[in-house]
Amino acid sequence: MLQFLLETSWWIPCYGLVGAVLTLPWSIGLIQRTGPRPAAYLNLLMTCLALVHGAIVLRGVWHQDPQVILLHWFQAADLDFSLALTISPVSVGAMEAVTGLSLLAQFYALGYMEKDWALARFFALMGIFEAAISGLAVSDSLFLSYALLEILTLSTYLLVGFWYAQPLVVTAARDAFLTKRIGDLLLLMGVITLSTMAGSLNFPDLYAWADTAELSASTSLLLGLSLIAGPIGKCAQFPLHLWLDEAMEGPNPASILRNSVVVAAGAYILIKMQPILALSPGALTVLIVIGSVTAVGASLVAIAQIDIKRALSHSTSAYLGLVFMAVGLQWTDVALLLLLTHSIAKALMFMSIGSVILTTNNQNLTEMGGLWSRMPATTIAFAVGSLGLVGLLPLGGFWAMYQAIYSFWFGQPILVTIVLLVNGLTIINLLRVFRLTFLGQLQPKTRRSPEVAWPMAVPMVSLTVVALLMPLILHNFSLLPDWSYTNKIIVVLLLVSGLIGSAIGVTLPLNRGWSRTIYKPLRLAQDVLAYDFYVDRLYRLTVVAGINGLSRCSAWFDRYIVDGLVNLAGLSSILSGEVLKYSISGQSQSYILAIFLAAGVLGLLLTWSIW
Amino acid sequence: MLSLLIWMPVLGAVLLTVWPSKLSAVRLRQIAFIIMAVVLGWTAVVGYAFTSSDASLQLREELPWLEGLGLSYRLSVDGLSFPLLVLNSLLTWLALHATEAKIQRPRLYYALILLLNAAVSGAFVAENLLLFFLFYELELIPLYLLISIWGGPRRGYAATKFLIYTAVSGVLLLGAFLGITWLGGMASFDYQPLLTQTIPVVQQCWLLGALLIGFGIKIPLVPFHTWLPDAHVEAGTPVSMLLAGVLLKLGTYGLIRYGMVLLPQGWETLAPWLATWAVITTLYGALMAIAQTDMKRMVAFSSIAHMGYILLACAAATPLSLLGAIFQMVSHGLISALLFALVGVVYQKTGTRNIEVLRGLLNPERGLPIIGSMMVLGVMASAGIPGMVGFISEFLVFRGSFPIFPLQTLLSIIGTGLTAVYFLLLVNRVFFGRLSPQVTDLPPVTWGDRFPGLILTGLIVLFGLQPAWMLNWSQATTTVLAAPLIRQPLITQATPVISPSSPL
Repeated sequence: MLQFLLETSWWIPCYGLVGAVLTLPWSIGLIQRTGPRPAAYLNLLMTCLALVHGAIVLRGVWHQDPQVILLHWFQAADLDFSLALTISPVSVGAMEAVTGLSLLAQFYALGYMEKDWALARFFALMGIFEAAISGLAVSDSLFLSYALLEILTLSTYLLVGFWYAQPLVVTAARDAFLTKRIGDLLLLMGVITLSTMAGSLNFPDLYAWADTAELSASTSLLLGLSLIAGPIGKCAQFPLHLWLDEAMEGPNPASILRNSVVVAAGAYILIKMQPILALSPGALTVLIVIGSVTAVGASLVAIAQIDIKRALSHSTSAYLGLVFMAVGLQWTDVALLLLLTHSIAKALMFMSIGSVILTTNNQNLTEMGGLWSRMPATTIAFAVGSLGLVGLLPLGGFWAMYQAIYSFWFGQPILVTIVLLVNGLTIINLLRVFRLTFLGQLQPKTRRSPEVAWPMAVPMVSLTVVALLMPLILHNFSLLPDWSYTNKIIVVLLLVSGLIGSAIGVTLPLNRGWSRTIYKPLRLAQDVLAYDFYVDRLYRLTVVAGINGLSRCSAWFDRYIVDGLVNLAGLSSILSGEVLKYSISGQSQSYILAIFLAAGVLGLLLTWSIW
Repeated sequence: MLSLLIWMPVLGAVLLTVWPSKLSAVRLRQIAFIIMAVVLGWTAVVGYAFTSSDASLQLREELPWLEGLGLSYRLSVDGLSFPLLVLNSLLTWLALHATEAKIQRPRLYYALILLLNAAVSGAFVAENLLLFFLFYELELIPLYLLISIWGGPRRGYAATKFLIYTAVSGVLLLGAFLGITWLGGMASFDYQPLLTQTIPVVQQCWLLGALLIGFGIKIPLVPFHTWLPDAHVEAGTPVSMLLAGVLLKLGTYGLIRYGMVLLPQGWETLAPWLATWAVITTLYGALMAIAQTDMKRMVAFSSIAHMGYILLACAAATPLSLLGAIFQMVSHGLISALLFALVGVVYQKTGTRNIEVLRGLLNPERGLPIIGSMMVLGVMASAGIPGMVGFISEFLVFRGSFPIFPLQTLLSIIGTGLTAVYFLLLVNRVFFGRLSPQVTDLPPVTWGDRFPGLILTGLIVLFGLQPAWMLNWSQATTTVLAAPLIRQPLITQATPVISPSSPL
């Protein structure tokens, strides 16, 4: 039985897909009598199956060597398309985390999306989402990973565009798709190059090839850059970071997954590709630079947001920036630890603010306040999530940051500073959000705000427990350093940065009604941060305007030059016919003259040699 | 066997025209539909008799006709033409279904569609250059009439433009065919003997030039493309489906069969230029599509862009890229037919195709939600998202062409990105947003309207998940087709490392 379940572990990602297909009768309106709920239950059932199956497999492979499952897909000429899956404790564990979070998010969606007419469609998309991400976790082939990333791009587009009647949603969905697509296409260029040069796209083969490959510096740099472009898009890193902020227009249950596991999926691929990236020191440096810029920039931008979801989504970018830095320095285990702790904490925080948004029908931070007494579970969830994210109390985030600093400790003082800075800035931001939302006076929009119903409360509370137990879990997986060996200076530094952040966060003046200052320089800084350093306007003026202009130019060229020439040829033939018709006078003598002349010329030509 | 594919529709067309009693338009449509269903069934029988592991031309038929002229009635099929034959029968069948029930002059209309199908099938199975040319020209007549009688307001202009363009293409082809036969020292236009000709490279290049322009008009390649958007905009939905789905493939099919295979040395000489031309076509087509406001024009320009990939793959001419080219022909056939069918439904229900007027058509109650969903799927397939045919074909094309033309391949990939740009514009404007006030009170969409779209959607996903079912038809042929061409890969390929994969 165990053997059978192991062999069929490739079914686990498929369960979500099957669930998505099963919702079709409801989502296209074939079954209307029952309402869309059965579709949701089917999807939940499939996710449960995936979770159970995954748990059994995880027990089976625990403390065992990774196994490879090769699924032959098709053969084209000399190219074999086999989908390789690796079944190792790490990959199956990652898959379990994904399925578990997906189950919680779907359960949460039962409550959050209760009144939505398109519940079936939502669950179908969540099924695809879950299938693609859990597939990514076990994929052992760059080809499969690339394909799944593309599917993820599509399902992000559809999930962000779920409420497609709203104008902001339309642009958000478009930007999410196009930004990720740019990354995907650059990645495709890298995939095709690698496939040609290495002859195989399975990761073990690629690693073997990377060990012996001798590439020129420029080739390996270009290859490395194209490979990191995909994760840059997926993880919302500078310069492809704008979509995540806009994607917050989508339904919140999808945001839970997007801010925790979807961005992590991109980083996971990056970790998988790390030995290939190591071919080019330049690409690794770029990775570190991008990570640092995003980490600091996004932390700053987050502080100036007044939309509760956007304030958190920028911090997602920042944390993924830390992951990028870790991968750039080849500390992949630190990167994985950061991903894990961040995913759990972020998912919890998004559940909490989802509850706030649903009860208050509001996302504007300046219109909230005093919710702690009305929504205690939500408040606790937010607090635990925040503490699990940052380095203040010894919860998950603390240890992840500790490990990050520990690995950067020798020779990377700048990066250590950046981690500490991100920690401080994140605490400032989270305290700001917490104070605005949960503390202070009750506001008109928060006055009637009961705690959420059980379908949302159950996943939120369970995840709170998981987040609290995070250090224990890490300890069980022996991911924590022994206390006696911990570097006390790092612990102190981390605590100091956290405490400074808290001090600023607590004392930061918060003007609810008058959130914009009238002090000019401060106001300028606030605007620059609130509008993401005006990067979107920069893009609009450069890339978007460029492509628009180019297409307009070519349209003009096509219409007036290419087609103009064609029509000119037509017109001239008509005109010449029109002109020639006046030579038909009807007088026989002129015809005879013409015949004689022509015959004469012909005769001259034919007899030319005699003359 | 193959003859029946040509003569059954012809017979059907004759039957429809001379049937003595009065038949209603609906009845005529049913009869035509049944005839095409029989033809489609017969195509399946041909598929059953077809041996996919055999690379040579099979199921041959021959009858002497005008031997003095070098014209004989020789038919055969191989892995290159068979998928296109199936595509032709299938799309004609669906196009008949997509026709409005109350069409004017139904007898002539259905007869012409059947004739068109017969001529295209004939061109695909002809094994004699002159016979191919005859069918190639014959297909013009029904198509010209279909556009100029049942077309939109500017149908006269569009149909004439199409006719003149394609006639020029025909003249060039005839010239090139004559040149190939005479310079090759053959007495007949039969295909097989010509494979052994030894024409000097310079002359091959000239002949190839004529063929390229001739087929380039049909494909169409920039700058010979301006007939296509006009023809599409003026033609009705079924005709557009056939035009984009099958007729353009005549050009790419001809390019491979008569250009690449018959003139291999010339092809090698010109290949770098062809690859560059492919990139220009792709990027130009994509940029043009971004600037369009008419849905049909946009899809038409996207066709041009996607044809660029096929040219790129043909220029590279590796077994893999040729396989990709054939797959791309079929996948583009399915996807563009789907898009045109859906645009047709939108136009029929709303009365406009302007993307600046239409908005919010996904609206579940008063819009066209299922049509819209299929549209999203279609454009995603066209943009090459995995799980659908477009991904497989584009990946094969790019992977196959990259070793030979790395730079051109990378530039073509940018074209895929632009595909996403214009199709997203289309979907976001037309289907997302609030339903625009101009298009309220739409007539209801029946399952009959959705039928062609559903079939095509199903096939797009099916072959996207199981490409082997289609690739196996052509594998053997493409290996043989690519054999005579010697390619120097710019990117050297390492011998694949076999991983010690431990099966569970």
